[in-house]
Amino acid sequence: MMKKLLALTMAVLMVLSLAACGNQNDAQPTDAAVQTDAAPTDGTEAPAESDLAYVQGKGTLVVGITDFAPMDYQDDNGEWIGFDADMAKAFAEDLGVDVSFQEINWDNKVMELNSKNVDCLWNGMTLTDEVTSSMACSTPYSTNAQVLVVPADKAADFEGLTTLEGLSIAVESGSAGQAAAEALGATTVPVQSQANTLMEVSAGTSDAAVIDLLMAGAMIGEGTSYANLTYTMNLNTMQGEADEVYGVGFRTGSDLVDAYNNFWDAALASGLAMETATTYGVQESIIQ
Amino acid sequence: MAILEVRALEKHFGPTRVLEDISFSLEEGQALAIIGSSGSGKTTLLRCLNFLETPNHGSISVRGQVLFDAADPATQRESEVRRKRLHFGLVFQNFNLFPQYTALENVTLARKLLAKERDEANSGKKDLLAAIDQEGKELLERMGLADRAGHYPHQLSGGQQQRVAIARALALHPDILCFDEPTSALDPELTGEVLKVIRGLADQHTTMIIVTHEMAFARDVADQAIFMDGGVIVEQGPAKELINAPKMERTRQFLSRYTEN
Amino acid sequence: MFAFFSSPTTQTVLSALNEGFVRTLELFFITLVGAVPLGLLIALGSMNRWAPLHRFARPKQSKALRAVLNFRPVSAICRLLVWIIRGTPLVLQIITLFYVPGLEHLFNWPSGESGRMMAVCIAFIINYACYFSEIYRGGIQGVPVGQQEAGLVLGMTRSQIFFKVTLLQMIKRIVPPMSNEVITLVKDTSLARVIALQEIIWMGESFMKGNRGISGLVWPLFFTAVYYLVFSGVVTLLLGRLEKKLEFFR
Repeated sequence: MMKKLLALTMAVLMVLSLAACGNQNDAQPTDAAVQTDAAPTDGTEAPAESDLAYVQGKGTLVVGITDFAPMDYQDDNGEWIGFDADMAKAFAEDLGVDVSFQEINWDNKVMELNSKNVDCLWNGMTLTDEVTSSMACSTPYSTNAQVLVVPADKAADFEGLTTLEGLSIAVESGSAGQAAAEALGATTVPVQSQANTLMEVSAGTSDAAVIDLLMAGAMIGEGTSYANLTYTMNLNTMQGEADEVYGVGFRTGSDLVDAYNNFWDAALASGLAMETATTYGVQESIIQ
Repeated sequence: MAILEVRALEKHFGPTRVLEDISFSLEEGQALAIIGSSGSGKTTLLRCLNFLETPNHGSISVRGQVLFDAADPATQRESEVRRKRLHFGLVFQNFNLFPQYTALENVTLARKLLAKERDEANSGKKDLLAAIDQEGKELLERMGLADRAGHYPHQLSGGQQQRVAIARALALHPDILCFDEPTSALDPELTGEVLKVIRGLADQHTTMIIVTHEMAFARDVADQAIFMDGGVIVEQGPAKELINAPKMERTRQFLSRYTEN
Repeated sequence: MFAFFSSPTTQTVLSALNEGFVRTLELFFITLVGAVPLGLLIALGSMNRWAPLHRFARPKQSKALRAVLNFRPVSAICRLLVWIIRGTPLVLQIITLFYVPGLEHLFNWPSGESGRMMAVCIAFIINYACYFSEIYRGGIQGVPVGQQEAGLVLGMTRSQIFFKVTLLQMIKRIVPPMSNEVITLVKDTSLARVIALQEIIWMGESFMKGNRGISGLVWPLFFTAVYYLVFSGVVTLLLGRLEKKLEFFR
């Protein structure tokens, strides 16, 4: 008898742990209906629900980020600052909601977004085909380039190359850098993060690495563990292509995209955008 | 009137019949020896008496009260079986002492648990527990183990362990004390001390059922004897008669193996 | 050496690692507190013999029919759970538990670090409970049947027998294999970073890329080993002591 009871309790426990949190989002659809005119006639489809109303309903915009100076990083008090972070704060204020920054594992960014654990991805995200096809993206706000990071003492060997064939290049798995390196014929070594690519080069396990220009500035050279590394070439130029662009990512079909684009236009017009960019030294890259 | 009355007991494991039409009775203060070759059903019979096996047929009564009747489900309720078990004590072939308890704790554990259940609100609980401890010590003393009360089973010899097990069974004051080949797991030089203890119990007219291969011991100590073979009782009668002058051919054959050695 | 440890960079890194290590410890202890009893429930469940249709089983029925009639639902569910959990990687279980509820519109985890911690804890508890349950099962079944019978004959209830007789013998049997699992758990906590729980490895790695204004540092990652070694050393010591304590009987 006791055994039966115990077994039952266990089953209930597991279901409970899932169900307990299930109640929380019940309230939101009602809010959505009140605050927006989102498809009142054919409101049966889930995507028709307003994402903007959802965020305003819960009162917080959760921004998915990684620590990525100068876009998103923490100051001495542990507060998130940077060009992207400051703009996100301004955007949230514009929407009338609080902002909260959530560090995520960049590999899982699409899942983080779709499972509503974050509301947007705002972290110097290069708008690659993979990104634009898996989420709704804003108009680009900044340019970026992919650069080749090599050991400083071998920099001369890499000068004037027109192809990366025969080289093993460390890249962040699924990054814009990987696409660029592969287009140039490199054998890529995909690793978990841009930071790990540098360890590959430093340890000699890869010939070179491809990372974002903005990042390369912060992560290698004097005062870092990678004083022996340097970056040489712009892969975009090498391919004869235009530089990449950064954008903000939202859930597919989200009306937050429009809200953001309007916000960005206004921020450019008011000078807020350039002012913030100057603070973090990225004014050169901003797309006006 | 007989203290124990077993009627037409039957037990099968799947298609095999282990016990068939077992009937016998036992008078208070008497010792009954059950002999027979291995696999004859002796141990199963003891296990049935102690409710470790449920017979398929037949009945068991103690002091005129029906404890078990295969035909009457009311006698088989799990909740009551526990209380009914207390009419019997069982000493196992391989002792089955609780290794994490000392000799004394082994003897007193069950009594204390019972006392705690019954006297939850009783203020004299402390005295009661002390009394149980005192009785446990006396029991061990009777077993010749006064100086071993604080030892753990693994610190005791086989013979000592079995004597603790006997004390443990006696602590609950069973109506009938059952022994399942109590010396079979012992080295020959240790059997004597255990048999001596059992002999002492017989002298004090403890009602006992003893399954054993020690024929001389059975003859000297037991009042009655049963010879079992193939799950049936072949012959029963006064122990001395049955072992010295068996009437049945099968009994004679079985006993001859012991006298030859 | 002293200059290294007193430098502001090192101080910042160490405080971040400490912060990560506190999360690692939290995850470790919550998992233990949850998985130790839940594992026992699963072990008892998988040994549960309740078969609701058993009374209709007869020796002469066909094999297939008897299998259906002798079906033990509680045991089957527990064994299925154990099979699924032990047969799939923990990383996958963490990702599934954290993302699938949101993706399938079942519910949303609380926002921020607390939601991630909650999801990871539940995933770890279920995972470790399943491993523990198999150890328990071996431990329970390893206690001789005679112990139980001796208790029954002495008029003890099943629960008295379990708690007063079987349990301690079982614990003695399971301490060595449990120690292995617990040490594994110390290190497995690092898997939580897959959903961005900022435990100590995450913190260690973060300085390669950039954290608190420091970037391009590799040594913090390798330095986390010191934390793990000290912690698993303490755990090993404690479990060794427990094992010694149980040596009073055999």
